[in-house]
Amino acid sequence: MASLSAEERSALRDAVSRLLADKSTEADVRRTMETETGYDSGLWGQLAEMGVTGLVIEEAYGGAGAGPMEVEAVMEAAGAALLCSPLLASSVLAAELLRALGDEDAKARLLPDMAAGKTIVTAALTGDAGTWVEDGVSVTADAVDEAFALNGVASYVLNGQNADVLLVLARADDGLAVFEVDPKADGVSLAGLPTFDHTLRLARITFSGAPARRIGGAAWRAVQAAIDLALVALAGEQAGAAQRCLDFTVDYAKNRYQFGRAIGSFQAIKHMAADLLLETESAISAARHAAARLAEGAADAEAAVSLAAFACADAFTRTTADAVQMHGGIAFTWAHPAHLYLRRARADAQLFGASPAHRERFLKALGA
Amino acid sequence: MTQAAPVTDEALREEVRAWLADNWKGLPRSGGGAGWTASPEQKAWLAKVVEARWAVPRWPAAWLGRGLSDAQARIIEREFAAAGAPGAGQDRTNLWANTLLACGTEALKQKLVLPLLRQEVGMCLLYSEPGAGSDLAGIRTRAERVGDHFVVNGQKVWTSGAATADYGMLIARTDWDVPKHKGISFFFLPMKQPGVEVRPLRQITDESHFNEVFITDAIVPAENLLRDLGDGWSVLQTALAYERSVMGESARGGRSGAAESKTEEPLIALAREAGALGDPLLRQDLAQAIAYKRLNALNTARAKADLAQGSSSPVMSLGKLAMSRILHEEARVRTAILGAASLLEGPDHPRSEDANFLALNAYFTSIGGGTDQIQRNIIGERVLGLPREPEVDRDIPFREVRSGR
Repeated sequence: MASLSAEERSALRDAVSRLLADKSTEADVRRTMETETGYDSGLWGQLAEMGVTGLVIEEAYGGAGAGPMEVEAVMEAAGAALLCSPLLASSVLAAELLRALGDEDAKARLLPDMAAGKTIVTAALTGDAGTWVEDGVSVTADAVDEAFALNGVASYVLNGQNADVLLVLARADDGLAVFEVDPKADGVSLAGLPTFDHTLRLARITFSGAPARRIGGAAWRAVQAAIDLALVALAGEQAGAAQRCLDFTVDYAKNRYQFGRAIGSFQAIKHMAADLLLETESAISAARHAAARLAEGAADAEAAVSLAAFACADAFTRTTADAVQMHGGIAFTWAHPAHLYLRRARADAQLFGASPAHRERFLKALGA
Repeated sequence: MTQAAPVTDEALREEVRAWLADNWKGLPRSGGGAGWTASPEQKAWLAKVVEARWAVPRWPAAWLGRGLSDAQARIIEREFAAAGAPGAGQDRTNLWANTLLACGTEALKQKLVLPLLRQEVGMCLLYSEPGAGSDLAGIRTRAERVGDHFVVNGQKVWTSGAATADYGMLIARTDWDVPKHKGISFFFLPMKQPGVEVRPLRQITDESHFNEVFITDAIVPAENLLRDLGDGWSVLQTALAYERSVMGESARGGRSGAAESKTEEPLIALAREAGALGDPLLRQDLAQAIAYKRLNALNTARAKADLAQGSSSPVMSLGKLAMSRILHEEARVRTAILGAASLLEGPDHPRSEDANFLALNAYFTSIGGGTDQIQRNIIGERVLGLPREPEVDRDIPFREVRSGR
């Protein structure tokens, strides 16, 4: 699937959209988000059949060998449908971490089953404070004979509950390194965290002498590559979700009558909608541009990714917030889907750093 | 004149290149003219371009064109642009000539099309009035038929180039007993006559780019009426469409002439120069202001790519709103960087002068060409399909329409 044309990419986005229109309806999302695992394994299997779970995994390991632009396209569709899945954690973050580390042995062991959707892998990159920065790492690794033992806490681990394998960033004697850990092993205790966004699964994992296998490669550089791809994926999700949210809000404004008029005929509503269109269209442009620059390995990729990170996060949060306001009382109820989008927006805006940090990184990337 | 035989893209490109190589020798830099009047050298060059039929290649051969497709006409425009030569592709950009060709009487076309393409006559727009800004259909300037001409009375405003113009494209009310859009007519009003008085308008920026035009018993020959009496609104829509299509994204920067960094974002360079680049709060604002600019550029690029693939994009309609946001935000951040220094102006304080000018001139974009609020209505209604705002004056005779003072 490597390097799709623009038409093929939009066909991929449409195919995923069609599947999710059928299998990730509002009712499906509400049912799935209350389950233990938080995702639908049947739908996960269908995504695997379409090649979505192995999108960035090399063809040699059973993946599609695609890149950031394809990931972004799929995530636009996933975001619009509020898909509940380990796609971001396993198929993007963990898959890209393994690719960037380049340890052939680990790749051969893990990637084929990840691509096939049989194994879910996640990356534990933060300490207890949930800051995705180098200083935040608090797990330590001690060499024990040929293996390693991990101690410490990693929190805010995406889909930790769902993981068959954990990739844990820890401090070894010679600096940061990534370790492969079996979450069922002795010395690993995993607790699901109660999340504001019910469609999201986060875990806090405590390691007490947990057995670990070291994975080769430059750890922090690989983590940054994985986070950059995850940011592009997240930007796509945010842009797609913002657009969907604006769409159903505009529909409501056409059909809800007050004072004898559709509320969309009032300028107060019309002007909010026009501003949101500017926000969402800008988000789509930013997400697609970031994906394209990252795919090219362009010199300005860092600026493009950080721009998309804050532009899309801000656009999505603003769109959902205004959507609730424009719906009025109905959106204040649990029964209406607006809060599902609002919750997802507020959650997405905190994953992998919040907007102020991305603005700072953007400015630095511009040489300031 | 006969229609030119079809040519291949390559033959056309060769022909225009050869012609430019033979004829284009450059033009002397114009001496400070505001762009409203052409120099004799410019006029001579344009006459050549028109004669060679490069000026309006999409137009029919009977009207100085070649009857070419848009794609082939763009080949000509690109070659002219590459050589730095003006005058080609006026069938896309010449608001006056296009409106005249589409809507004018035969007599008026014979008289003015050629001079317009050669920029031998100056033009201005007599649309807005003190009482009719965004609501252009509310104009109260009147034109009354007397024999073979019309007599015009009223006041216009925001008229660029009025002082040098030979004609103004005028909308005036010719029927007060029909609803407001139906009683308007469109004329080419001769400007150089005793009944037309032009007064420069001093703007918020202390500049005078615009004028007020007072019209008292001015005369328009009946042949200068475009389309039918009472059909002026449709002519205006044609003219406005041409105007929008040529309004570039070029917003004005500062006016001090102070050098700006070519390699660095101007806002970053300014913050660096002011020693303010380390302020974390300011850095957030800097990033956001720069982001607005970049996002607009990305939107424009995406809209163009969509267009090239044959699908239209709603993004095109968002440019004006985006530009308002960019300009006001840039002015705000510039002022924040300068702090107390923004209290000053004059030759010793060019940075302040630029920031303060920008803060004032940003309204040019957010009010001009229909306010941002009108633009939001248009986006809401035409792009998002929201219901129209009820119009209480749409169907009643204009005579009965309520107006403020």
